[in-house]
Formats: sequence, structure tokens, C-alpha cells
Amino acid sequence: MGTLLLKVLVLSALDAGAVYFSVLLAWEGDWTVLLLVVLGTAGINYLVLSRKAYPLRYLAPGLVFLILMVVIPVAYNVYISFTNYSTGHILTKDQVIKVLTEREYQPSPPVRYPFYGFGTREELHGILILTDSGPLFFRPDGTQESIETHEVLDEDGDGIPEALDGHPRLSSREILAHYSVLQKLRIPWQEGWLRLASLTQFGYFLPQYRYEPERDALVDQRTGKVYHAGPGRFVAEDGEGLDPGWSTWVGLANYIRFFRDPLYHRAFGRVFLWNVEWAVFSVVLSFALGLALAILLNDRGLRLRKLYRSLLIVPYALPAFISVLIWKGFFNTEVGLFNQLLGSHFGIRVPWLADVFWARFSLILTNVWLTYPYMMLVSLGALQSIPGELYEAAAIDGAGPWKRFTSITFPLIMISIAPLLIGSFAFTFNNFTIIWLMTEGNPVVEIGSRAGATDILLSYAYKLAFQGARGNEYAMAAALGVIIFLIVALISGISFTRTRALEEVSRGL
Amino acid sequence: MAYKRRSWWARAFLRNFLAWLAIAFALFPAAFVLGTSFNPVNSLSATRIIPRHPSLSNYVRLFSETSFAAWFLNTVKIAGISAILSVFFCALGAYAFSRFRFRGRRAGLLMLLLVQTFPQSLAMVAIYRILLKIGHYLPWAGLGTHPGLILVYLGGSIGFNTWFMKGYFDTIPRSLEESALVDGATHFQAFWRIILPLARPILAVVFVIQFITFYSEYLIASFVLKGDKSYTLALGLYYLINEHYRDRWGIFAAGAVIGAGLVLLIFYALQSQIVSGLTGGAVKE
Repeated sequence: MGTLLLKVLVLSALDAGAVYFSVLLAWEGDWTVLLLVVLGTAGINYLVLSRKAYPLRYLAPGLVFLILMVVIPVAYNVYISFTNYSTGHILTKDQVIKVLTEREYQPSPPVRYPFYGFGTREELHGILILTDSGPLFFRPDGTQESIETHEVLDEDGDGIPEALDGHPRLSSREILAHYSVLQKLRIPWQEGWLRLASLTQFGYFLPQYRYEPERDALVDQRTGKVYHAGPGRFVAEDGEGLDPGWSTWVGLANYIRFFRDPLYHRAFGRVFLWNVEWAVFSVVLSFALGLALAILLNDRGLRLRKLYRSLLIVPYALPAFISVLIWKGFFNTEVGLFNQLLGSHFGIRVPWLADVFWARFSLILTNVWLTYPYMMLVSLGALQSIPGELYEAAAIDGAGPWKRFTSITFPLIMISIAPLLIGSFAFTFNNFTIIWLMTEGNPVVEIGSRAGATDILLSYAYKLAFQGARGNEYAMAAALGVIIFLIVALISGISFTRTRALEEVSRGL
Repeated sequence: MAYKRRSWWARAFLRNFLAWLAIAFALFPAAFVLGTSFNPVNSLSATRIIPRHPSLSNYVRLFSETSFAAWFLNTVKIAGISAILSVFFCALGAYAFSRFRFRGRRAGLLMLLLVQTFPQSLAMVAIYRILLKIGHYLPWAGLGTHPGLILVYLGGSIGFNTWFMKGYFDTIPRSLEESALVDGATHFQAFWRIILPLARPILAVVFVIQFITFYSEYLIASFVLKGDKSYTLALGLYYLINEHYRDRWGIFAAGAVIGAGLVLLIFYALQSQIVSGLTGGAVKE
């Protein structure tokens, strides 16, 4: 009974919070998030109150985070890949219309009216703008008040008062203290508005574009040019578009660009090829080294093998990002260890990270250093599971060491190691950290393209999304993410057919 | 006979020689950096492993001139909280998958298996926008915050860990809990009092592997976190050294020694369990 009361209390508190939050969301018109909150709350109520949902109570905490940060992102990423979401296409259409209709231009010739401020340095009482249709008085917050209701002191009779309501006129230096307040003023005036144009003048400005809802178009007020709402931006007959545009659905356009737009097409081909090379060389070479060392350590005659093993796995025990930064230091062309040694002994300098070949060489060398301990450990495990009789039988048949390796050791360990190699391939294929910390995908190979010589697909996507200097091509990055996703799915598909994992699930274990 | 003996010695020598060669290859970067960290000459051009005049000046400068202390604490905090929560939630989920039979169980397992094969970073743009959205309503958990990053890490680790722990729970005999259930314990009590203590070794392994993974994560942290003081170690050390190999090598070395030291200690303390976890669990056999 006590637990039921507790349940009801906790649920009521949660539901009250959810209702409050839902109202907030409805107010903002954020329907997707509102739907998620309502579904989530309903789900929690069901979980706590229904006996049938008992197993789900154990699953729910993990499931919530899995759905929020993996399932939804994957689906959302697919959606973004079909839009044009990128720098210049971030806002919604309504926001774009608002931004563009607030753009202004000066009539020609420009209309300027002198203004004077009254008050003190600390406090602005108000300003007087001397327009051609008489003086106008405004408060600092922009409200207009009739000049008749104020006490104007103009002793010299030049039309410019020395004081207003007893507040002295401010010098231009004193006006400067109120610059930020004045700058915000936008006073509706005739067809447009008045705003601060210099420290002594207000200018008359007109809206450059007017929005016509029935035509869904913007009209340039100076030229009369019409910009119709196209896909993602307003475009005129002659093809001239207005920035910013808005975020909208573009179908397969992003994917098509990777195969048709020469700049992206070349980049994609180059990056993909190196990405495969990178994963293949890393896995094959580190496996070769790891296996060789495993065979070396597997000899029972080796007295210190436990110690050797512990020392050989040090690269695996260090955080990879630190190791990569250390290796990057060694590869440094001017002050790096390798060029110091090569320079002093042989008088040569290798452009390690600046040259395409050497940059790739350096990356693979570093990755082999980082991964061979893993390969060594799994090979050791596999070697120990090979029955000794096989070797004895082979020795009787007169097979030499090489023959024994190729016909017994290698085929047998591959049975258990092949899936691990595929897993390692998939991991290396997307190993962003090494690539990014070592070279950031450089050296550059094509001017105008973000994809460098050592970029892998994932680092290329990262550049498209987050390297700010050239704008954020979020949607292109999302599309590339989906492409990588398909590649990983292919690799995993191959891997699953070689392991029992899927079978286990289907048998219901 | 004499010939065979000599050949045995030659082979033993060769094997040990090759092993030490490999060990030199494995250890020289770490040894070099350890030496550099005590070398007051703050430049890569000092190519000696053991410094002539060892001093702690690099360590002093690391803590006084950079935000290293903040990076280190941030990283331990983020990785620690994410890993603890992940272990707890995954153990709960794994228990349900292992012990209950319910509708959707098979589909759920299949989903876990599929989800854990895809790196979360493929959806980086979506994660970025989701955090932006969360930050709009809950500023303390959005983009640029540690809770936001923990949220992402936690979500990304659920799939694999639940799957991995379920496999372990399956090997714990049911008879232990069943007698407890007969005695009137609830399922949750059986889970808490019987399964969790029995599974302690696997919980420790999952915790440590997750901790080290989060500790070294770069991609997601780099677009979630903004500002030097909020960085993790990976971001902080990268920005510290990247364009400054000429003039900050010594300070960086000190940071690398501390940053790697913690992980190295954990790794060797639990060496055998971690090794079997990493090599056996990466692809379930």
C-alpha cells in the first residue's frame, strides 16, 4: 500500500511537470518535441502502473537514452540529409521573410534630420529631431510625445533649444554616452522609419523588400524586381537569389551532388579510396606484426614471456589520443625526433606530414603501433587453442616450420580471428581520432575542396559539418553520414554471417 | 649433440633479441615523453631520453600556465559519471533480457545488436541539432555543457554494454535466484542482492572499458564543448600542442604523463579481465 502511494505521488509530480512543459512547448509551436514529451510521459505512466509492462521497467532507463541519443539521431540524420540545412539555409521561411523585410535602403537623395539630446551624461531625458515638418520629441524608449506639452527654452531663437523641461542640451561628446540606446531606436516615419545615421543626424530609411503573401514573393521597392519563393530561397526571373535562404526538403539532391558535382565527386572518390587503403593496410600490417609476435611469445621455452607480453601491450594501454599527439611530435618536420636523427646521421629531411605519401605512411605506421597489441592478444588466444597433436603429426610427416604455419597454424587461427579482423576493419575505417589529431586530413590536394589527402569519409563529413571558416554544410555531412552508415552495414552484414551472434538471437537465447 | 645445443642457444638468443627489439619499438615513445617531461629544455630538439638536469618545471608550468587541472577533472567527471550510469542501466536491461520472457524480446535483442555496430558519430549533425534543441529548453543540458555530453555518451554506450552483459548474465545459474524467489524475494531484490554481486567482475570490466573509451573520445566532445575551461583532456591537450611542437613540447609531455598515467594504472591493475573483455567481447564469439 505504501509503495502504491509513493508511486502515485511520484507520478503526479512527474505528470504535473510534463503538463507545464507541454503548455510551454505548445506556446512555442514546437510540435515534434511536444509529441515526444507526451509519448514519453504516457510511457512512464504505463510502465509504473501496468503489471504487464514489468520487464520493461528494467529496460526503460537504458532504452530512453538509447532512443534519445542513437535511434532518434540516426533517423533525424537521414531526414537532414534530404534537406538543404547549411549555412545560409538555417532559418525557417517565416524567419527569412522577417529578416529580409527588415532590410532597408536610403532614398536618393538621402534625407537626414539633425537631432539633439537633453539630459545628463548619466540619464537621457529625451531627443528632439528637427524634421522638415517640425520638431518631434521622443523618449529614450522610442515613445513620441507632443512638443507642445514640454517646456522648451530657446533663448537665442535659432530653433535649437538650449534646454528642455529644464534638462540642458547635450554636447556631441555627451551624446556618445547614450549611443547604444539611440542605436536601437527605429521610429516609424512616412513609408519607412527614422534611425540614427550619425552622431548628429537621424536618417530616413525605406524597407527594401515588401512581402506579398498572395504571390508568395518579395518585391524590391527600389527596382520593382520580383523575387518568387523558390526551393529554399527567394529567386528572381533572372536567377538572382536573396540571402539568407531557408531550410527545406530537397530530396536526393545532396546524394546526387556526391556523384555528379565534380568538386564533391572527385573528393568523394579520393577520400573513399584512401579510406579503404587506410583500413586494409592498418589491419593487415598490424595483424602480421601481432601474429608474428604472438608466435614468438607462444614458445614455452621463452622464460620471460609474461613480462614480454605485459611490456608489448603498452601501446594498447595508453589513451590513443595521447600516443597520436606524441607520434605527431616525432614526425614534425623541423623539430621532430625522426628528422633530427635522420638529419644528424644522414643529412636528410623527410616531409613526414606535409607530403601525400609520407603523411599516409606516418598514419599507417602510427596505427600499426597502436593496434598490433590487440592483434597479438587475440592471436595468442587462438594459438593456444590449437591442439598440439596436429603439429606432432605434421612433424612425423616431415613438414617444415613454414609448411606447418601455412597449413596448420594460419588456417586454424583464421577461423576464430577472421570475424575479429572484420570488426577491426570496420573500427579502423571510421577511426576519426587518429586521422584528425595527426593531420586533420591534410595535406591539401585540391584547391576549393575540403577533402585533403588523408581525410577518411568520417573526417570529411566532420569538416563539412563543423569547419566554420567556409560555412557549415550540415546536410551534405548528414548525407555522407548515411553513406558511411550503409558501408558499415555492408561490413557488419559480412561479419554477422561469420559469427553466431545473429543465430543466437533468432533461436531466442 | 653439440651441434643441437648450439642451435638451441642461438634460437633462444634470437627469440629474446627479437622480443626486446619489439619492446623497444613499443616503449620508446612513452619512454621518450617520460624523459622529456622532466627535462627543463622545453623543446623537441632535445633528443635525449634521460635529461641532464632533471626538474619538475614542466609540471609546475603545466598547472600554472594552462587549464590542465580543469581538463583533467572534467574528463574524470564526464567519463566517470557516464560509465557508472551506463553500467547500472545496462545491468538492469541485461537482467531483463536474460531472465524474463516477454513480447518484443527478440526484436529488442536484434535492435541492440544492430545499434551497437554503428558508431554514434555518423549522426553527428543530428546530435548537434538535438543538443541545440535540448539547450533551448534546458540550458544546463544542451550544447556546450557537460551534462549534454554525458547524455550523448550514455546513449551511445547502451547498445553494446547491454548485449555484452546479457551474455554474461546468461552464464549465471538461475537456481540461485530461484531459491530466493521461492523464499519471497521480488525480482528486483534477486537482481540487486544476488545477480549484481555475482556479476561484479564483469561490471568492473565494462566500467573500466567505458571509462577509457569516454576518456579518449574526441569527435563528439569537440563540437559539444566550447571554451578552454570546459574542455576534456583530449581537446585541451590537442589545442595545447597542435601548433606549438616547437615551444610547448615539455609542458605537453608533462600533461601526457599524467593523462596517460591514470589510464595505464587502471589498465594494468585489471589487466587480465580487461584483455579478455576487449578481445573476447568486441565481436561476440
